Amino acid sequence: MPHTEDSTEKRFEDIHQAFESIKQKHRDDLGEKDVRHITGIRRYSRVFEVIGRGLIWILPGPFALLGVPFLFLHRNLEAIEIGHNVLHGQYDSFEKIPQFHSRKFRWKAPMDEAAWRQEHNGIHHVHTNVYEKDPDLNHGFLRTNSKTPHNKWHWFQVPIYLLFVYPTMLYNFDAQNLGNNDKFRERRFPLGNKGYATFENTEELSDADRNKRHQRAVWRVWVKEYALFPLLALITGYGFFKVFLANLLADVLNNYWIALTIQATHLTEPLQPEEALRNKGKWYISQLDSSVNFKGNRWQSVLWGHLNYQVEHHLFPDIPAHRYPDMAIEVQAVCKQYDLPYKSNRNWWQAIRNYIGVLWHFSFKDAKPTTEELCYLKQGVENVK
Amino acid sequence: MLSKWSRAAHPWVMKILGRDWVEYIASNTMNVVTQKVDPFLWTYDCKAEVVAIRQETPDTKTFVLLPNQHFKQPLPGQHIELSAVISEGEKAESRCYSLSIIDENTVSITVKRNPEGKVSNWLHDHVGIGVVLNISSPRGAFIYRGQEKLLFISAGAGITPCFSILNALESTAKRPDIAFYYRSRTPEETIFRSQLESNKVRSPVDISYSRSIEPDDRVNVMPNQLMDAYPDIKDRHIYLCGPDAFKKEVLSFLESIEYDFDNLEVEHFVRFNQDLTTLRKLDEDVTVTLKSQNISFVIEAENCDQTLLEAAEKKGIHLEHGCRSGMCGTCRTNLVSGQVSGNQLGKTIYPCTAYPASTQLILE
Repeated sequence: MPHTEDSTEKRFEDIHQAFESIKQKHRDDLGEKDVRHITGIRRYSRVFEVIGRGLIWILPGPFALLGVPFLFLHRNLEAIEIGHNVLHGQYDSFEKIPQFHSRKFRWKAPMDEAAWRQEHNGIHHVHTNVYEKDPDLNHGFLRTNSKTPHNKWHWFQVPIYLLFVYPTMLYNFDAQNLGNNDKFRERRFPLGNKGYATFENTEELSDADRNKRHQRAVWRVWVKEYALFPLLALITGYGFFKVFLANLLADVLNNYWIALTIQATHLTEPLQPEEALRNKGKWYISQLDSSVNFKGNRWQSVLWGHLNYQVEHHLFPDIPAHRYPDMAIEVQAVCKQYDLPYKSNRNWWQAIRNYIGVLWHFSFKDAKPTTEELCYLKQGVENVK
Repeated sequence: MLSKWSRAAHPWVMKILGRDWVEYIASNTMNVVTQKVDPFLWTYDCKAEVVAIRQETPDTKTFVLLPNQHFKQPLPGQHIELSAVISEGEKAESRCYSLSIIDENTVSITVKRNPEGKVSNWLHDHVGIGVVLNISSPRGAFIYRGQEKLLFISAGAGITPCFSILNALESTAKRPDIAFYYRSRTPEETIFRSQLESNKVRSPVDISYSRSIEPDDRVNVMPNQLMDAYPDIKDRHIYLCGPDAFKKEVLSFLESIEYDFDNLEVEHFVRFNQDLTTLRKLDEDVTVTLKSQNISFVIEAENCDQTLLEAAEKKGIHLEHGCRSGMCGTCRTNLVSGQVSGNQLGKTIYPCTAYPASTQLILE
């Protein structure tokens, strides 16, 4: 069929409607099942917390390490399957669980909820993979495309991130959400924030307010993990440092896990055009084009906060995440029908290898340019059937 | 009812930590256990505990409230909406009350018993110290805006917002020129009489009585004699609050002296009930212009039975609003030209309960 302006427009509109109807179907189906899911996860999280902290508290010396995996499970469920998804507003419509409403929820993670909602929901999810717009392209100072000017830090970005940033990734997210990372680049980088997304704070926070919010988000975790529980152990006759170190280990594992989950499902080339936002069909395509899934079963997916279904998450960020595995089948059908990209890795390891390859590639100054032309929207829809 | 211990602890906790820190700590430690331990602090709702009750006059009581951390610091003159289930199984009733006294950690409402009123009777008869009430955060636009010459005109329980603004202004360094006119029935029924007559209030306060004459040299000023009592009344910004009949009397007097209604603030809490059958439906499209936002929108003829607020929302235009029933005054704005039917007070209209009545409407 020859392509005319009209038929292209119509195609975008059809694609838009196809995704909207998937969304609507699941919206209409929201109910008890979703409430059961989130309250059930919270129950598991509590049980893991009791077992984990209990073992760490009473077991002597290195045996206390047996409690670390349980504490890790607790912190991980709270951070992503509960925290991340709740703050997307996925459970806002259920009146009887106010504790899971995005504006009331408090994260058991060192992140400021209000700043995260604005930055993550309002910017990253809207301008995904858009150069100088999407802060998650950089997560600090990463160079993930050849357009970002190279400086001496980038030579070492792989070891710096693997050794220092990932173990403290959540703290780094908070700095990013509140705009503190922008200040760092402004001070340390010869070209400042050129090539990076800068965060325009809609709350118009002063520097003092920003610092206060950051401190508050961080200290609520530190007081609990590194003062309260170690002290409780100490006054009941157990070791302070044993608990301190075990909690530190769980904290680091949790940060590392989340960093690898999130980065491995993004950082897929190519960059997306900003104009995609103006057309809903194009926006859906650009979301498809900038996320990548990796496979895992239902239980593994809970531990990844269902972010291994990043494609579905980016298409429908406010639909409860436990529905993504079902939605994936419908999304794939639409992609097949309209010949749209649907990216997926065989497993987590492959996803990690792929994106660390990207980080490695762009740590070199003369890295081969990014393949902006590979962007599905730029290839010209005329070329596809 | 809260336990004795937590009741004793709340004023102390709020004073030492302040609402901000209490919010931080309570929200981060919210769980099923803490919510049972103290439902006043570990809650998602804005609540207030009654910590003291004073009898002001035979039929008026002041309730001193200690709000929890969800309450925002009010501006003098603002009000809260209180909602309570009066009789079990029925829907909650809600009423607006101006804050009469604002302290650092507490606020007070002063409630006159209305013989037919559901909520005021309930407050007087059933609410004692320690009762926890559901309230809203403070709101309303009946606030001081830095004018230099003011005149407060109030009657009965309508003194409450004026009293709170007066108190705040009395303690400021650069006190504006204030005149305070208050009408009450008898000296015994005069709310805050001792405070108004104490030396702390330096501004001139005139109290006039409708049922008895004080045997002193004060002239008993009637609302229609305001011009004589305050010759510069037209230069003063007027804050008016009181019963409807009183307000109408004052408004018609102000109209008769051609007072500039832009300088008038009226507090108005009566729930507005519009009988839709009496509404004259326009059969033409209406163009509404919002001067402050510099936008216009059209209400199609078939939608003219919608309130201005609904019509604006349908066009995706955000108007500030609160109760949607003409009570809270959050949406209130002034009519520059055109006509509306429904809830209006002079030039002031309430978009949540007002309907277009001319084909051109210009709102401030």
